[in-house]
Amino acid sequence: MTVTATETGTAQRLRLSSLRKTYTARGREPFEAVKGIDLDIEPGELVALLGPSGCGKTTTLRMIAGLETVTAGEIKIGDRSVGDLPPGKRGVGVGFESYALYPPLTVRENLAYGLKARRAKDVAQRVDAIAERLEMTELLGLRPANLSSGQKQRVALARALVRNPPVLLLDEPLSHLDAAQRQRVRRELKVLQREFGYTTIVVTHDQQEALSLADRMAVMDAGLIQQFGTPDEVFDRPANRFVADFVGEPAIALVDGRTEAGAVRIGDAGALPVPDGIANGKDVVVGLRPQDCHLTESGATESGAGLRATVRVFENLLEFGLATLDLPGVDVPLVVQVDVTVRDRRLPERGDTVTVAAAPDRVHLFDPTSGERL
Amino acid sequence: MARELRPGQRKYSPGSIAADAVLVGWFIFSLFPLVWMVLLSLKSRSEQISTYFAFTPTLENFGTVLSDEGTRLTSVNFTEALLTSVINCVGAVIVSLVIGIPAAYAAGRWKYRGSNDVMFTILSFRFAPELMVIVPLFIIYNQLGIFDTNVGMIWVLQLVTMPLIVWILRSYFQDMPAELEQAALLDGYSRKRAFLMVALPLVRPGIAASALLAFIFAWNNYVFPLILTGSRHTPVTVAVTRFLGGGGQAYYNLTAAAALIAALPPLLVALSIQRYLVRGLSFGAVKS
Repeated sequence: MTVTATETGTAQRLRLSSLRKTYTARGREPFEAVKGIDLDIEPGELVALLGPSGCGKTTTLRMIAGLETVTAGEIKIGDRSVGDLPPGKRGVGVGFESYALYPPLTVRENLAYGLKARRAKDVAQRVDAIAERLEMTELLGLRPANLSSGQKQRVALARALVRNPPVLLLDEPLSHLDAAQRQRVRRELKVLQREFGYTTIVVTHDQQEALSLADRMAVMDAGLIQQFGTPDEVFDRPANRFVADFVGEPAIALVDGRTEAGAVRIGDAGALPVPDGIANGKDVVVGLRPQDCHLTESGATESGAGLRATVRVFENLLEFGLATLDLPGVDVPLVVQVDVTVRDRRLPERGDTVTVAAAPDRVHLFDPTSGERL
Repeated sequence: MARELRPGQRKYSPGSIAADAVLVGWFIFSLFPLVWMVLLSLKSRSEQISTYFAFTPTLENFGTVLSDEGTRLTSVNFTEALLTSVINCVGAVIVSLVIGIPAAYAAGRWKYRGSNDVMFTILSFRFAPELMVIVPLFIIYNQLGIFDTNVGMIWVLQLVTMPLIVWILRSYFQDMPAELEQAALLDGYSRKRAFLMVALPLVRPGIAASALLAFIFAWNNYVFPLILTGSRHTPVTVAVTRFLGGGGQAYYNLTAAAALIAALPPLLVALSIQRYLVRGLSFGAVKS
């Protein structure tokens, strides 16, 4: 079997430096899709590129794959700079959102197609091996038209994996699956990635997918990486207002506040303690996650701090409850997650007056103009 | 109250009956020239001007058209004219495919400077009246020495076949997901091989449909060969009209027979691939 250096299957480091992509069309303003991205991905790491549509995440992926030209910057896989190589010479496997399965060919032929281009000798064995591993041997004789979307997804993944690429790029791999399939394939994907050890980038707009799959996630917006870190870091210490707002379900409440000694005052509702080292008398945006706040029956908390609020609505979702609260002097509602699994505990009702408390390190403060974390 | 209908059963209302009647009327009206032509082709010379439906049918006219007698009457050999038409139309379609497929691919896949202008120019060949360019073409053809040649006809028929093929195939290439080729590129195929092995096989129905349609249009073309051919390489469309006679004698019965023979090849082509043709054309036109 002839194996080129790029096809050894050993995971390799992937580095992007100052990567840019500008589209220029005659008679139109140049459009900067990607405005300078730096990413350093460890060998074997799974990184999720998370962001809203149009943030440049797919463009970034396509630049790494070589399907889009690079305006400026460098892409390195291992020690090789691949920015000028044709897609087939980069050693990347891509799982397309649309699956890109070739309709006239059977699944087996689809999987073999890429191996044949490289004149691999043990095509049949490799196809059988990957089909067995992905538990899809019975699909090999079928054509793409006869597959369900879950099966197509599996074949597309097998197609990317069969070549043993050191770098695997997946564009919205789960987007066409229904909710149940999505959870199952998500777990499978993670197991497979661990097992094969490919350096992997998953592009997604679904934060659940990113949180569950990724070793580290890069949150993108407007062509820039807003934050790159582990899911815990991104969730617990959002780098700016955008990240705080984009990651987290239900969404974080972002309300205006003003700092005072060791605390931040929010409307007429009261104050919450903040970490040390925050300047006094400064207007800030306060981010409060539903998961980080807790309700106490009316009255002051031990620390004397807390927000007075009225329950607008309470939803019991059985695993947890969500209380939507009105704070006096604040026009944005605050959502607080409530534990409903404790028996005999009285649950909040509409019109109840409650006090909201949160630990100082869970009160996120952002600069109102730049949106950066304080 | 509504009675359940069995499959294939239709519900009749006064409106639908009236609509059907109108359609049947239109059907008869539009087919009548064809019926008249068939009747005429079966009449003898003495009966050709009569308007009676009752006559003694004969197949003699078809024999005359294809025989030396026909050649003597028109100074054009009709069998040779059929062959000339086949050579011209097949040749024109092949040339259009060789040039048109890559053109359609480029137009369907990429936006480049002036791509819309190029496509519009190609389309304009189709809707510009042929009479507008025929005089300059006649002069040019004489100077180049390709007047009354197959090469000359194949060349000028590009105006008919090329726009059809390029425009139909472009929508095929547009409808084909680019990811299919990109996956092939990532697999290590060259751009050329990705085009030949991935894109081309997928548009085969479109190639067949557009090629056959172009063939029929080229076959029916009359004005170009009328002016740009003499007596050696006359195609059927022109040869048919020779039976009307330049001088005193008009052979309407022979003309009808010749026209029927001339209509057969495109008719057979259309019938044999009818389903393919409709599916092929609508696939390109309608986004799935």
